Amino acid sequence: MARTVVDPVTRIEGHLRVEVEVTNGKVSDAWVSGTLWRGMELVLQDRNPEDAFWVSQRICGVCPISHSHASAQSTESALGITIPNNARIIRNLIEAAQFLHSHILWFYTLAALDYVNPVNALSANIADTYALAQAAGTRIADFGAVATRLKGFVENGQLSIFTGHEGWFGVGAEKHPGYVLPPELDLIATAHYLEALELQAVAAEIIAVMSGKFPHHMTSIPGGTAFVPTEQKLDDILFRFTRVKEFIDTALIPDTLAIAPYILGAASFGGGCGNFLSWGVFEAEDFDPYKRYLPRGFIQTSKGLTAEKVEATDVNEYVTHSWYSSPSGLNPAEGKTEPAWEPYSTDGKYSWGKAARCKDLPAEVGPLSRMLVGYVNGVKPVKDIVDFALGKLSAAAGATLEPTVLVSLLGRVAARNLEAAVVAGWAIEWVNELIAAIKGGDSSYFVTERAEAGKGVGLWEAPRGSVGHWMTVENGRIANYQVVAPTTWDISPRDEKGVPGPMEQALIGAPVVDATRPLEVMQVAHSFDP
Amino acid sequence: MAQEAHGALHDLLAVRGVSRRDFLKYCGSVAAAIGLSETMAPQVAAALEGAPKLLPALWINGGSCTGCTESIAQVDSPDVATIVLDYLSFEYFETIMAAAGTWAEENITKRVAEGGYIVIYEGSVMTGQDGNTLFVGGGPNNEGAKKGIDILKEVASNAVAVIAVGSCAVDGGWVMAHPNPAKATGVAAFLQKEGITTPVVSMPTCPVNPEWVVAMVVQLLLVADRDPAKFLELTQWVKYTYHDGVTDQDVTLTLPKGIYGQSIHDNCPRRGHFENGEFVTELGSKEEAMGYCLYKVGCKGPQTYTQCPVTRWNRSASWCVNSGAPCIGCGGLNWVDNNAPFLKRLSDIQFDGFLGMGNTQPGHIGAAVGGAVAVGLVAHGLGMKAAGRIGDGPPMEEMKAYDRKRMAKKGGDK
Repeated sequence: MARTVVDPVTRIEGHLRVEVEVTNGKVSDAWVSGTLWRGMELVLQDRNPEDAFWVSQRICGVCPISHSHASAQSTESALGITIPNNARIIRNLIEAAQFLHSHILWFYTLAALDYVNPVNALSANIADTYALAQAAGTRIADFGAVATRLKGFVENGQLSIFTGHEGWFGVGAEKHPGYVLPPELDLIATAHYLEALELQAVAAEIIAVMSGKFPHHMTSIPGGTAFVPTEQKLDDILFRFTRVKEFIDTALIPDTLAIAPYILGAASFGGGCGNFLSWGVFEAEDFDPYKRYLPRGFIQTSKGLTAEKVEATDVNEYVTHSWYSSPSGLNPAEGKTEPAWEPYSTDGKYSWGKAARCKDLPAEVGPLSRMLVGYVNGVKPVKDIVDFALGKLSAAAGATLEPTVLVSLLGRVAARNLEAAVVAGWAIEWVNELIAAIKGGDSSYFVTERAEAGKGVGLWEAPRGSVGHWMTVENGRIANYQVVAPTTWDISPRDEKGVPGPMEQALIGAPVVDATRPLEVMQVAHSFDP
Repeated sequence: MAQEAHGALHDLLAVRGVSRRDFLKYCGSVAAAIGLSETMAPQVAAALEGAPKLLPALWINGGSCTGCTESIAQVDSPDVATIVLDYLSFEYFETIMAAAGTWAEENITKRVAEGGYIVIYEGSVMTGQDGNTLFVGGGPNNEGAKKGIDILKEVASNAVAVIAVGSCAVDGGWVMAHPNPAKATGVAAFLQKEGITTPVVSMPTCPVNPEWVVAMVVQLLLVADRDPAKFLELTQWVKYTYHDGVTDQDVTLTLPKGIYGQSIHDNCPRRGHFENGEFVTELGSKEEAMGYCLYKVGCKGPQTYTQCPVTRWNRSASWCVNSGAPCIGCGGLNWVDNNAPFLKRLSDIQFDGFLGMGNTQPGHIGAAVGGAVAVGLVAHGLGMKAAGRIGDGPPMEEMKAYDRKRMAKKGGDK
């Protein structure tokens, strides 16, 4: 029994620490800590409610769109505003662009290096690489040029962002046994890693066209949107969505399906708490969260794969193991944030994150939750692509795999990429929906009328999971503001009953082949896109 | 790790599949970002190609949202930019580096001992809760963990220079907005308090604009040949002195003038509508469809001194005003307190300072504008005369005469 720590967990947004106890080659206990506290909720007190739209999105530079949309919705629900239909579509489009940006960036730039070994790619046979790409139905690149480029990089002796990890890749040390892909697949994935850098930026340009810039956008101001599309701008959006969708269909999805057969072991660990929350995202015309394109729902797999209703009142946050002196177990509508550091102790307090609970249970949030809720709700493109992927995986595994196999490390990785394909398809439909609405004479984008006081909540989804902003407005000023971010759910520490959070539970039981180089711990942590 | 010099940059570029044409195009965009004519691309290229080897860089995340890292990923011409950013050998960069935990932390220790590196710092400096609002790198039960502020001291002490990217690193950003619950401050203020004299370049906006960072990196590493004294001498700066509440001292910030020397209002493509009295009075309205001026819905362009309308964002796809959003002044100091409520007009704004310094709130900033402001055009060590933009051209106006008259007469936007 030994403790191993990964701090910082790199290739994520923000600061995260993971401490695990390893017994007989498996994680027997885990503690996950958020190691930064900035105090957004307190900064927003006593400001104009609209200002929260701009400020609160700065919680996260990777998912600011979703925070701002949750914030705008909390203002709108507090002040009795219903946004115009065109604004609804434009927000869906901005959100969709961020989802595509984020999922591409996550898979290739952040998570891939847990599976893909670019050094191993140097031994690839170029002709075999083309043959493999052909067979896998994945995107062709100039693989020879990529290999030459890679060779130049490795040989120049300055490894830049690979410094300190070269041993894991097999340079000057024995390669970590967790890197199992054939060199040709490593080369394909490395080529797409480079191409993904371009495509994530194209997706971000879509946000910029509609909302000024990314990260931190400007136009989804409470009341609707400040963006008025022109023909030119609609064209700018549509052609970029088309380009991004093509990359997802021809690289992200086939790469996922090509890599999966080599890591089928990841289907047998990393599942976690088995409770899945989705607030729902991509608003439909009737503004009913249960009818959003990716609908709202809560799944407790212990009761079977069915979704139940879930509301803002089902949430509470414990601070038993978090550095706060404010009361524990409050619903965010009445939430308080009073920081109080004391020395780190896994028996006592060990995180700046509060322990968010849904119906008093830890709840995983993110693409896996949304895909499961969408699947059991019969959302067609979700069901189609999940069944398609399960078919491919079943063939590789030589056994019929049920949807419950998704409750695993492999499932969490795959769900994110499958979701990207679903959202890309919808995004193109929504551009056309907007064009039709404008052609039909709808020129309303923003409503100015609003109340002076009220209580509101915005429950929405970021690419990395469920986000909620709670706001109380008195005399035109914010009297209380509370945020439950996606990462608050997934990295939550133990609650007052000592129940570990979703990532902690997902880590417990994971194999650790080499305790001095805990690659599997990073794979599980990264799978949440924390 | 081996640090021997290798061949000229064009060999490196060729091996990475970058054509000469792409490279010159890139150099043109760098030239534009640092205030040069694009015709200066060959000179920038010459400076780049003369460089002997990758220069080690440590990208440190303080109290950040990772938005500045995200922004860097949106830099123009990514193939070439990747090269030039690779041109910096990022031995520590939490968000994209392969290594984690102690394997990552060792890179810092080794590099600081060897020296000869730059630091790019993103996020606020977190002093709250005795510095425990940010800690990194402890072992079991957090033994040996370092506070964020101690990491900054460690990396800054032996660096060639520190580039503070984004408003959080400049002065604490939104995190230091009232009531500043985490006692956030900026890099320059913190290092001054600690007596660390490494030069600090401040690059506000939230997040930082990636083209500007690349421009400064080129300036420091190549034009100034990595020599901090030369760097300070060859670049024209805007200096601001303000009072930092957390460290309780006056702090002088150093910003590149080519990027932070003119107001957004000066360069705004919608400026003509302002002059004509054509305003958007309601967001998302038909006036917005016609591209009218956003001043009446709160635009902070007149008091915000950045090159946003020129460089734009996301590989020139757009910028805030172009998409219908009034500027919120994220490139100013203490930008949230000074500019919120964001949708209110600037009826009481004074046009007598930079970075919104004329619009300070009691208790936050007492500012003085440094002497360098009076200097004329953006200057640069790299043949500005040849570009015909320095020496005999008219000085930049610090305030348009029209604004001055208008403000004096009406005190607002009438």
